[in-house]
Amino acid sequence: MANKKSVGHAYNVDFLNVVFAASSLFLFFTTIWMVFDDFDREWKGYQRQFVLLEGYVTSLSLQAAQAGIDQDRLQQLNAERAAAEQELAANGQRVAELESQLADVEADFYLANQQYNFLKADYDVERYAYEELQEEHPEEAAELRPAIDDMYDRWVELGMRVEELVARRDDLRAQIGEFTGGVADADDEIGELTAEATRLAALVEDLQVDFVGDVLLNAPLLDFMAPSLTVQQTITPNVHDELNFIRFQKMDRCRTCHIAIDREGYEAYPQPYTTHPRLETYVGSASPHPLATTGCTVCHEGMGQSIGFVHSSHTPETEEQMHAWEEQYGWEVPHLWDYPMLPTDMTEASCAKCHTETVYVDEAENLNLAYGLYERAGCYACHTTTGFTDLRKPGPNLTKIASKLSPEWVSSWIRDPREVKPSTWMPRVWYNSNTSSPEDAVRNEVEIDAAVAYLFANSEEHDFAVLFPPRGNAERGQELVESVGCLACHITEDQDRLAAGTRRTFGQPLQNIGNKTSYEWLFDWVRDPTHFSSETYMPDLRLTNREAADIATYLSTLTGPDGRGAEATYDDGEVTAVLLDYVRSILPTAEAEELVGGMSLDEQRIDLGQRVIGRYGCFSCHEIAGFEGAQPIGIELSEEGSKLLPRLDFAFVHDIPHTKVEWFKQKMRDPRAFDRNRVLQPLEKLRMPDFEMSEEESKLFATAIMSFQSDVQPLAAKPPRSARNDALRDGRNLVRRRNCIGCHEIEEDGGDYVALVDDPSLAPPMLTPQGAKVKPDWMYAFLQGPIPIRPWLDVRMPSFGLDDAHWNGVIDYFGAISDTVGEFRTHDILSAAAVPREGEELFDLLRCQQCHVLDTIPADQPTDNLAPDLRMARERLQPDWIVDWLRAPLEIQPGTRMPMFWTDFPASPYPQLDSDGPRQLEAIRDYLLTFEGGPSPIRGN
Amino acid sequence: MEAIKGLFNLVADPRLFFLLSVVALVLIVWKREAFAKLSVGYGLMGFLTAFFLFGLFDENFVLIIAKPDNVPIVALIFLVVFFTWYSMREAVLNDQRVAAGEDVIEKQESDRVWVWPDLVYTELIALVLCSAVLVVWSIALEAPIEQPANPANTPNPSKAPWYFLGLQEMLVYFDPWLAGVVLPSLIIVGLMAIPYIDTNPKGNGYYTFNERKAEITIFLFGFVILWSSLIVLGTFLRGPNWNFFGPFEYWDVHKLEALNNVQLSEYLWVRGAGTALPDNILVREGVGILLSLAYVTVLPVLLAKTVLKRYYEKMGPTRFYVGAFLFLMMLSLPIKMFSRWLVNLKYVVSIPEWFFNI
Repeated sequence: MANKKSVGHAYNVDFLNVVFAASSLFLFFTTIWMVFDDFDREWKGYQRQFVLLEGYVTSLSLQAAQAGIDQDRLQQLNAERAAAEQELAANGQRVAELESQLADVEADFYLANQQYNFLKADYDVERYAYEELQEEHPEEAAELRPAIDDMYDRWVELGMRVEELVARRDDLRAQIGEFTGGVADADDEIGELTAEATRLAALVEDLQVDFVGDVLLNAPLLDFMAPSLTVQQTITPNVHDELNFIRFQKMDRCRTCHIAIDREGYEAYPQPYTTHPRLETYVGSASPHPLATTGCTVCHEGMGQSIGFVHSSHTPETEEQMHAWEEQYGWEVPHLWDYPMLPTDMTEASCAKCHTETVYVDEAENLNLAYGLYERAGCYACHTTTGFTDLRKPGPNLTKIASKLSPEWVSSWIRDPREVKPSTWMPRVWYNSNTSSPEDAVRNEVEIDAAVAYLFANSEEHDFAVLFPPRGNAERGQELVESVGCLACHITEDQDRLAAGTRRTFGQPLQNIGNKTSYEWLFDWVRDPTHFSSETYMPDLRLTNREAADIATYLSTLTGPDGRGAEATYDDGEVTAVLLDYVRSILPTAEAEELVGGMSLDEQRIDLGQRVIGRYGCFSCHEIAGFEGAQPIGIELSEEGSKLLPRLDFAFVHDIPHTKVEWFKQKMRDPRAFDRNRVLQPLEKLRMPDFEMSEEESKLFATAIMSFQSDVQPLAAKPPRSARNDALRDGRNLVRRRNCIGCHEIEEDGGDYVALVDDPSLAPPMLTPQGAKVKPDWMYAFLQGPIPIRPWLDVRMPSFGLDDAHWNGVIDYFGAISDTVGEFRTHDILSAAAVPREGEELFDLLRCQQCHVLDTIPADQPTDNLAPDLRMARERLQPDWIVDWLRAPLEIQPGTRMPMFWTDFPASPYPQLDSDGPRQLEAIRDYLLTFEGGPSPIRGN
Repeated sequence: MEAIKGLFNLVADPRLFFLLSVVALVLIVWKREAFAKLSVGYGLMGFLTAFFLFGLFDENFVLIIAKPDNVPIVALIFLVVFFTWYSMREAVLNDQRVAAGEDVIEKQESDRVWVWPDLVYTELIALVLCSAVLVVWSIALEAPIEQPANPANTPNPSKAPWYFLGLQEMLVYFDPWLAGVVLPSLIIVGLMAIPYIDTNPKGNGYYTFNERKAEITIFLFGFVILWSSLIVLGTFLRGPNWNFFGPFEYWDVHKLEALNNVQLSEYLWVRGAGTALPDNILVREGVGILLSLAYVTVLPVLLAKTVLKRYYEKMGPTRFYVGAFLFLMMLSLPIKMFSRWLVNLKYVVSIPEWFFNI
């Protein structure tokens, strides 16, 4: 271009100035915004708030501490101090003189001590030089030797001087102390009296908001130096997260907001400031799960490293809470972390992560309840689950069904079990949410009839023990059922199964049993359950034939509705069609048609029945001929709680939050729900049966499932494997799986029977201290052949017929509870003559025989006052335990009627043996042990 | 309301979306004088704004648009549309001036400016503005910490970074070695080769369309349609399982698409000749191989002798053949897309035995 123009402007500079000004302002304000945004972080707000709360709470406890000071004592001490001060003032001149001397001595001592230390350092240097030279050039070293020795001597000399000065100093101090001692003692005592108040006062002072510490250092832009508002994190050495097959320590920053979680005194304040509700078990530094090593998220789950409410994956407990959180925090379903927090009432699911040494976890009430339900519902039968293997099939044995039930009854029962027995755990297999349309009815009926046909066609004969059983008295039968102990495992009335509890639904609910089966069968069963089914868990109550007849007569009067009738009729062609549908799923159509065509209608029905039972997995819960060794139909659940969300298919169910917990709950509420709106062939449909769980039940089952976690935590996080822990695990399993805790309270669980009797003393005893109390050989004999300990009780200890391995397990379990497992303890049994006379005196004085049986049952006492025959003590009780029991019965067994005679132990209100409590106890014990001839399981009563 | 959403969902179908984009490009180039009008520019921006405002009332739309990662892509849509329109408008205005015998606008400005304030001052302003925007961006669009990536639990859909989404879209139509290795390499090589292929000095330093019709059209096709709009499509319209979802559609993982695609060899042998596929791989895939070879060897020569004779003469053989090769490689993507959509063609050459598919 030839016509080059002069240099010009591409932009209007005035305009640029305006743009520059505007963009500078923009940058200025965004910078302010940035600083403010950092200043305004959620957690900083909580911490600022907490500073004020902490000051307030501390000043409250200061007030309490001040009010708690003994004012009289304080006045007295102050007076003493004033007197001592006067005395000191009187000797003022002498004290001043001594103090001046002390000052001189201390100055000398300081100097001497310094020289002493310096010389030692110099000496060490020289000595090393000498030693080294000695090694390299011994001839030169010899010259140095005298100088070294000289240094050493001087050093020793200085040491002596230091010692002398110390002695003089201490002497002077002691002399001064004689004059000032009174004041110092008074000060000490006053200090001790007001220590807590003084400490708190200093703390309150410290917590006052001050300009530098609380304002300046936390000010925007200055808070990079040493802010007092900081992220609080716990890195847990032994509790791990697993990601990408790598395990690393958890980093929990929850305490950044939940700042007082491990401190007492904030129980009354709302989240996030509140104290952990169970500080003695969790988080507290003295608890078994201290914050510093356990952290938070191993139990609660959630994203520990996050410090925002939403991102840390809080999970609401209820829908209302969810909506409230959406309003307040902009909460949304967590998707940044695979393991969002558990709703607080499901947190116990996490116990199982580390407590792999046991199934039932001590104190985890919700979890144990959930596991109990898991067993009752028989989930483990279809779904293999670690911890729940080797259990019996949860349903009754069906191999002899024809002798017990009629086909009609079975049809209406399986059509809808809860129509017949509202409390049953038997689920409904047909007519569920995906098989309830009118088109499904025919197929449902065909399948039901086929399954029933198969069961009856394969039923064995049953040999009734008594061919023509006598009839009994229904009223007496009812009394027996209500008194001997049947109700510990069975309910007879319509009751919500969750309210009835896991223990009382251990046996089949007895509602409607009169409709179900014949009098002959009931008699045969009640008389001896193992005669019908050798593997039954129903124990033997040692009923006479007469009692069995009474009970059977009573049970046949328990009748109720007939259940749901058939909802469709069909012709024979339908059976063939359904069977063909089944067979075609495994064989080519031509072969299938040939196979089915070669069968008679009855054969078709029975063959279909077998396939139906196989498909729905009836054999998982029931013993059924032809299915021995068949694999359970459900997926394994041992690590289901660790499953990742994308592995769970929500299909078209959009009305629940898409979280794991909600998926499991939905599956419990309606196991077929995820078929909703889907077009499926009959054999493609979901087939888990419907337990018709309530909201509460579905939550508990979800808790159980969430507790089935993959094993990630390192050994150091877990309680150690030990013989004692194994005994505890096996024992806890056994007492639940045989329903011992239906009658007996053990380890603060169970003991439902107490609610069924008029007075707690008429119920089966609490057994927690049994290991310390009873001798193992006696216990073994008793379990093998129980004898009445308290003959006035109606309820009976049944005979369980377990093998030695189980009984030894029970004995070890009780030993493990009291930590006395495997201990043999010698105790000399004194002859009556050798026992001090005072034993008998005290025995009479305390009137033990007023309640305790001694051969004869005291006649004038109400039954709830009676206590066991003392003649059994010698064989039955551990001598050490008798002493403990006499001393403080309420500590061992809360609620016992045994009086506590030594309220001021070891002092004693009784004059015998110089009022020496321990000796008195032993004397009584020794006297008791001389009794002989009581009932005994060892000698066969 | 629902009908409008349904319409947008329909239009966003990749087939229609692509077709309409091409039609739009043709219209822009053809009716550029109308396109360059201020009213069209305002209209376009207004329409885009209205569309996004309308979308804000839809739950599913907001879910995907307001995802912090995706917000800048929304800005990208506005920017690409605006600058396409703006450059076209400037070009049209200059072309009109040239036609009227005047100088282009840029000629009237001085060709030298002061370093201060024109350069340094504007740079400073840009610096300040960029800083401010970055600050606002980092405050407003949060990037929370997540758990470490878990190869056993990959996200669905797994998406490439936004600038690679165009490449990822190619994976739908090509074997990974082509879509992931050969074509990206050719894009880079091709971009480097442009100054050597296109030696036309016209249009340097000023906007024009008439003087560079083919170049600009090819660029618009390659950049706006094959690159930018595929990024937009990959960001907003590809959901779980890389299935296509309309902007107002719920991202349901269960949505299915039947991928019943057929190899060229199957068309020829099984459907055409009614015989089984030959065992000999080269016989089986012979036609496909020949077609592919012809596409890059015979077709350029044919083009040089026929429709593009003018260019061949102008550019000389080397430039022409290199340019034609790159252009044909670019075109292979839409060709493959259309043959997939129209006749369910899976691969032209399919030799899984050798891990070789075209």
